[in-house]
Amino acid sequence: MSSPVLQLTGLSKSYGHGDIFSGISFEVGSGKTVGLFGQSGSGKSTLGRCIMRLEAPSSGHITMQGMDLARMGLRKLRELRPSFQMIFQHPEVSLNPRMILAESVAEPLMVHKGIGMDEALKEIAPLIRRVGLRDEHLARYPHQLSGGEVQRAVLSRIFSLKPKLVVADEPTSMLDVSVQAQVLRLMQDLQKETGVSYLFISHDPDVMSVMCDQVLWLDHGNGVMYDRAAFLDRVKTEYIPVAPT
Amino acid sequence: MTLLTVHDLNVHFPTGEGSVHASRDISFSMEPGEVLGLVGETGSGKSVIGQAIIRLLPTSAQITGEIRFDGQELTTLPDHTMHALRGRSISLVPQNPSGSLDPLIRNGMQIAEIFIERGATKNTAWDKARDLLVAVGLIPSDPIAKEYPHELSGGMRQRLTTSIAIAEHSRLIIADEPTKGLDYHARATTARVLSDIRTRENASLLLITHDLYLAEHLCDWIAVLYAGEIIEIGPAHHIFTQPRHPYTKALIGAMPKNGLVPLDGQSPSLMAIPEGCSFRERCTACSNRCGTEHPDLKQESLNGGVRCHHPFSS
Repeated sequence: MSSPVLQLTGLSKSYGHGDIFSGISFEVGSGKTVGLFGQSGSGKSTLGRCIMRLEAPSSGHITMQGMDLARMGLRKLRELRPSFQMIFQHPEVSLNPRMILAESVAEPLMVHKGIGMDEALKEIAPLIRRVGLRDEHLARYPHQLSGGEVQRAVLSRIFSLKPKLVVADEPTSMLDVSVQAQVLRLMQDLQKETGVSYLFISHDPDVMSVMCDQVLWLDHGNGVMYDRAAFLDRVKTEYIPVAPT
Repeated sequence: MTLLTVHDLNVHFPTGEGSVHASRDISFSMEPGEVLGLVGETGSGKSVIGQAIIRLLPTSAQITGEIRFDGQELTTLPDHTMHALRGRSISLVPQNPSGSLDPLIRNGMQIAEIFIERGATKNTAWDKARDLLVAVGLIPSDPIAKEYPHELSGGMRQRLTTSIAIAEHSRLIIADEPTKGLDYHARATTARVLSDIRTRENASLLLITHDLYLAEHLCDWIAVLYAGEIIEIGPAHHIFTQPRHPYTKALIGAMPKNGLVPLDGQSPSLMAIPEGCSFRERCTACSNRCGTEHPDLKQESLNGGVRCHHPFSS
């Protein structure tokens, strides 16, 4: 087995009023999906943001490609940034509202490769088709797109950088069930094609069990790792059905 | 006696680019104590139906058809009479909790003002408000009652608006996406609150949702909407175990626990609804007839109906 894409060791985050989580350790293997599960406010998004270094962890290590992201300077971090990317929960605020889609999807390549827009668009064209968007979408602004279309566009932006790890923070919780199925299937297909690893954040046990090989259950700041079967067992014991039937 | 009957409801919104036909020939009825789920995806016109019933659509909306509530025709009711019905007889859990609460009023008072308006003393009203907060799981209720809406999370605000809607013991509660954005625990709490109302007070619940899991567990009846019209209606367990319409079947098959099978394409624009069957472009069972002849909602028995030329057999 190859070395893990991401390895957390004793990661902790606290704000002034106390620990959000502490002592989180786990690893994500190449081409694997690890879930982060927990209630609202359990710190799963904060953990995802710490791994992305959108927030600074209080202590612990985040090892990626043999380097510790937790202590990395911003310059170095920027160089490494294409290899770890994030997709967010709310499609309506994920893209710059003043850019048409062509500008948005070309932007990451222009920034990280220093190429012009025409060249970037040419390079990303197969990927745009791959995620199921058409040329007519490219001239539109984000508010003219559906939530599912925005998440597809975000996926094409992310995958244009050939990431090794994608942190997906509830990417489909605001989408309809048939669109959710489209986007999750697309994510699974992209994983098979590119070998990317996912850290998949969700509070939906059904989605978790479809997407993840392993699930880290965050509860009162502690994390416990489960394989799929053990995760579903705990879901059964902790969650009573939605309504008495 | 039937509490609510909607018959041939049509809603149009005129816009600069043409008329949006948001609700098309909607008909259903509800008995006291029943839960009917209006299930459909974004843009299927489900919220419009709820707002048409409680008469909160913008004045530009063109509404035809009948809405009878407790023997009264609502569409032609004078504004002041309708105003008196709202809250007391029909209440709404709105879809956007942040925009529905007064940001300058403490959470407890958002509920308590209803009781004060009806003549209760401030202390009694405040106590009742705290009880309602407990009922929807906003605990500890004392500090939460004293806070302001901006201090709550989205899920907590959602539950606060639910508690306001159930404060008055209305006979019909219209809940528009009451679980949107809630996690598993909060969803279960909201579902239990809504379910309790029905059993304790014999109120009817019109549940507007795209949360199929919630609909499956809470509803007696389900109407599935697609492109503004009901394409299948029936008892909830029939809909989930023996769907007849290809769209219903695809929707259920797209749920993660049922295999996460994607349904390709998207529903037609409500400004340019195609002739024939609205679903035919995404349908695997369609024939030439589906392109020319609009299917009726065939009421095959008391158990509901399906709007399809080639339904699956039950």
